[in-house]
Amino acid sequence: MLASSAHSTRTAASLAFLILLSLLSSARMIFTGPKPWHFEVDSIGARSDKRFATVKSHLPTNGIIGYIGETGDSALPDYYLTQYALAPLVVDRSAHHSVVIGNFPHTLPSEIPSDLKLVQDFGNGVLLFAGKETK
Amino acid sequence: MAIALAAVICLASGYLLISIGWPDSRPSRSLQVMKLSLAGGFGIGISSISFFLARMFGTNHFVVWDITLLASICALHYLARPGFSAAFTAKAVIDFEIPLWLRRIVIAAFVFALMSASYSATMRAITHPHGDGWDAFAIWNLHARLLFLGGSHWRDGFNALIPWSHPDYPLLLPAASAHFWSYAGIDSPMLPAALGLVFTSSTLVLLVSSLFQLRGPNAALVAGIALSSTPFFAEHGATQYADVPLSFFILATIVLLHFGSHSGPETQSRRLNRCRALAGMAAGFAAWTKNEGLLFLTALLFAFCLFSITKESKDSAGEFSKPKQNLLAPTVLGAIPILALIAWFKHSVATSGDLLSTPEVMIHRILTPSRYGIILRWYAKEFLRFGDWWIFPGTVLLVAFYFLNREKGLSERDPLLRVSITALTLTLAGYFAIYVITPLDLHWHLRFSLNRLFLQLWPATIFLFFLSVGRQTPLNFSK
Repeated sequence: MLASSAHSTRTAASLAFLILLSLLSSARMIFTGPKPWHFEVDSIGARSDKRFATVKSHLPTNGIIGYIGETGDSALPDYYLTQYALAPLVVDRSAHHSVVIGNFPHTLPSEIPSDLKLVQDFGNGVLLFAGKETK
Repeated sequence: MAIALAAVICLASGYLLISIGWPDSRPSRSLQVMKLSLAGGFGIGISSISFFLARMFGTNHFVVWDITLLASICALHYLARPGFSAAFTAKAVIDFEIPLWLRRIVIAAFVFALMSASYSATMRAITHPHGDGWDAFAIWNLHARLLFLGGSHWRDGFNALIPWSHPDYPLLLPAASAHFWSYAGIDSPMLPAALGLVFTSSTLVLLVSSLFQLRGPNAALVAGIALSSTPFFAEHGATQYADVPLSFFILATIVLLHFGSHSGPETQSRRLNRCRALAGMAAGFAAWTKNEGLLFLTALLFAFCLFSITKESKDSAGEFSKPKQNLLAPTVLGAIPILALIAWFKHSVATSGDLLSTPEVMIHRILTPSRYGIILRWYAKEFLRFGDWWIFPGTVLLVAFYFLNREKGLSERDPLLRVSITALTLTLAGYFAIYVITPLDLHWHLRFSLNRLFLQLWPATIFLFFLSVGRQTPLNFSK
């Protein structure tokens, strides 16, 4: 009888502690999460879909196109975002294609590869090139 | 309107499939809630397969395809209605005995934890409409776009030219997103976000409602608090990654196995076989969600075989052999159709994965002891911090709770508990082995994936923990 009572007390006490300490994390979720009064949507949509909306209508509907872009820390994310925006096209990170997209969000290139010919500048660092195969 | 139609077809397909596998003429309210939470995930899985099959066979009439599939499930539901009394309840065994004041605290704490998790997940879904993290758009949503926008050229996107998008990853989530987009007519980012929230909430509801049935309300609510107060679970559920959906299917597999584990009269046994087939289907959906799901399915089957081999020496009561053998066959049968689809995808569409190297290189890595030390240290570190808890890690709280309330010898008396724990442990060991042979930088690989791998097993771990801790008797079921 005594053992059972002690067991129940121990269970109740340990449950109370478990709940109390768990709720610390719940409370922090509210304080550290995004706030309704300070609402900021991330830039993925602006860096992908909106950025490439115009050029998309000048590209083939399927197949593989080439890609050139900036160097530096943002080079890889910029490339991924281009592929995401231009799907279902496959965007190969190479200039050896008949259609090549140029993505230079920060600095336009001082010179472009000799085997590429600029077809159109869509502004905002988005360029469309014709590759060697079309010459 | 079109989206509402897609949602109704999805939920109806899931519910009917669950009802075929789990016929019950007099379901209790908590059982009904549990079936609905399962129906959400299963419905999304069916939608995904429906869209993928439509793409496979080159049809664009998705609505006709879906309605045909729903009609087939309806017909199967009618034809497979049981000729036996199907009322079924699990008899809850010794819930935590707590005083009334603590019961009220538990309820209030559950509501608070639930609301803060819902708030956190919803806000993140709104502020990150394309997903929170690179994998969301560089893998999962990219694959969804390839399936949806690719038309008859959808296979072109799963191309070795973009290996970083992991064209070998299974397609449950991308094909489900593409399915809903095909109804909307546009690849709106809100739909994958909504799918993420459905899986997050379904996982929580499934955990609570199943424990409500098997243990009682106190254990169920405390388990709900443990999961919803894991910040990484709530936040990650809104990222549009596939880890929380995978955690749902792993939990569903183990829950359904527990509901299908009783051996009784012939009619009861037949009914439970259907439940086991549903468990196999859930494991199949796990494998269709992520490659880690395939590892879990293998680990589960291996755990069954392991205890089959060692039963003579371990099972003195002699109660394990028959139920265990009955469990395995229907579970495998339930998984086979989805495994066949995965096999076709891996063979005909997917490129090879990036985790294997040449045999010489892999042997060299296996024979490098320092790699084991690094991985072990990361396992220990992530055990304490993967949930992103504040001050007190949830894992430590559960361990402390266990030592204060443990009952010796329960796992020996509950073979399915042993199989489930072994399956999860083997899955963790499988992750460990992958890290040993990974061609990627080991620190980088561990840093960006181990917390998510732990998260995949976390809901099932909480389920097994609260199913067993402080319990003095094995589970019991009654007709």
